[in-house]
Parts: sequence; structure tokens; C-alpha cells
Amino acid sequence: MTTPPESITRQLPQPVRFVLGMGILVGFAALGTGLTTLLPLPLPGPVVGLLLMWAALSAGLVRLHWIEDAADGLLGILGLLFVPATVGVIDYLSAGATWGLWLLVMLAGLLLGAGAAGLIASRLVKE
Amino acid sequence: MTWVALTLLAFVAGMLLGLRVRSPLSNPTLVATVLVAAALLLSHTPYEAYRQNVQPLSALLTPAVVALAVPMYRLRALLAKQWRALVLGGLSGTLLGVTADTLLPRWLHLTDEAQRSLKTAPATSPVALQLAQFTHAPPALAATLAVLSGLVGALVLPPFLSMLGVKHPLARGIAIGSVAHGVGTARAREEGDLTGAASSIGMGLAAVMVTFIVACGL
Repeated sequence: MTTPPESITRQLPQPVRFVLGMGILVGFAALGTGLTTLLPLPLPGPVVGLLLMWAALSAGLVRLHWIEDAADGLLGILGLLFVPATVGVIDYLSAGATWGLWLLVMLAGLLLGAGAAGLIASRLVKE
Repeated sequence: MTWVALTLLAFVAGMLLGLRVRSPLSNPTLVATVLVAAALLLSHTPYEAYRQNVQPLSALLTPAVVALAVPMYRLRALLAKQWRALVLGGLSGTLLGVTADTLLPRWLHLTDEAQRSLKTAPATSPVALQLAQFTHAPPALAATLAVLSGLVGALVLPPFLSMLGVKHPLARGIAIGSVAHGVGTARAREEGDLTGAASSIGMGLAAVMVTFIVACGL
């Protein structure tokens, strides 16, 4: 394979590359949402967008350096982006002691799931 | 816009606390949630007013979910080489986690809202939030329980896996990521790059797996 010519997108200033990445990521989310309404699939559009993005990267349709600034930026503050949702927990404070039960159920799920995954993966790891 | 400012600053405060106190509980999402919730309660602001005020922040969640493809794509060589351990291990972990989170609340006769919200807890919070429209869970509860799953997982899973004798970094990482997603992955990264990478893969697989379980109406 011949060396590809130096991509012109690499010459973009970093903030503009961020804008390019955001445009592509939002575009894939919209594409995913469009597909789910068109087909219609009982799937969230952005998750379909994630799968399409994976496919596009693998097929070489989208280059990693087009989107990585925006993707790393968003994922670096992912914890901030769902604070607006988690704050809604103030409407469930009245559940009081039931929260303990919810956490116990969750703990059981965590231990069962991670325990099984860990033991199965230990056996299947290739050295 | 005041609430946007407060949310941004509360998140940074949580980050700063995390630099001082090394514990999964000094998590910026948790700290920001507690600070903002306290401010809402003290100022008697209803959640609905807050939610509309900070809509611009939530809008960034959609591209962020798509961005989850990037770490998965970067780790494709590891995924290709160890796919049996990572894919089979991760998917069975997530499947078992979701099954427990679905059946236990049913047997314990938890409220309808709790039942619907708990089942998506093994998926990363933004995905759990997206799935709420299909499970008919209250979005706030589904997102919060997912965050708590990550926090509790980061606390209990590393010692629990050691107790089970799970030593290989790949096995430990995929186990943590398959049920404790974001916060768990941050904790896994502290054990080493390989553990962190495997956990990142586990988190991505879990997001897709939980989505398909919900889509199949299980």
C-alpha cells in the first residue's frame, strides 16, 4: 500500500477539528435516530449511531483523527453531562428506607454479573 | 442559565475533591448531584424548572453516546486477539447482572418504577437514560441507579474478584466493566492499563447488550 498523502484535516486548527468531530458525532446520532424511526426499531437512536460509527471507523469511511478530539473531550466530561438527569433523584427522596433495598438488589446483580464474567474470562484468556 | 453555571462549577468542585480524597465516593457526578440537589431543595426550585434550564447540557449527551465507539475502536487489536475472554466473559456478566436486576425486584415486589429502573443499571448512565423511554422508567431514577451501580461496583468488585481468585488483568477488567461501566472503569484503570482497557471494552459491550435485552422486551 502506498503512503496516503498527509490528510488536509490534520492542518485544521484544533478548535476547528473539535467542531468537525462534533458535527460528525451529532450527524451519526441523527442518522441513528432517523433509522430507528424509519424502520422502526425499538432502539435508542444514539446507540444505533454508536454502532454505525463503529462500522464507519472499521470500514475507513470515518478517520479516527476527524472525531477523536471531540470524542475524547465529550467522554472526558461524560460524568457532567448526566448530572441534569441524576439531580432528578430529589423527586425520589421520599422512598427513604426502600433505597437500601434497591441498593441490595443492585449489589446482588453486581456480584453475580462480575463474578461470572471474571471466572469465565479467566478460563478463556489466551496467553 | 444560573443553574447551568452552578452545575458546571459543582462538577469541577467534585473533580477537585477527587484529587484530594482518593475514593470512588469522591466522584464528580455524585458530588455535583448532591450539591445541585441541595441548592434546589434550599431554594424550593422544582426539578422540572431545573431540567428545562440545563437542557443545553443534556443536549451534549447524544453525541457523547456515539463517541463511546472511539475507545472501543482504539482497542480493536486487543478485542480481536482476546475476543473469546472479552466478548463471552463480558456478555455473560452483563446478562447475569440484568437478569438479577430484573428478577429480584419482581420477587421482592418493589414498586413498578424501581423494577423498571433497576434493570438498566448495568448500562452506562447516558445509555440507561436513553433506554428509559422503552422501559417506561422514570429517567431520573434509571440514570441515578446506573451511576450508583458504577460507584458501588468500583468499591466492592476489586476485593470481591480477588476473593474469587480472579487475577488476570483482562478478566478483572472485563468483569468490572460489564456491570460497573464508567466509574468502575476509572477504578479499573488504577490497577493498570490492561485492566482499564478490558473494562472499557466491557462497558461498551454492556451498553449494546442491555440495549438489545430491552429491545427484545425481556
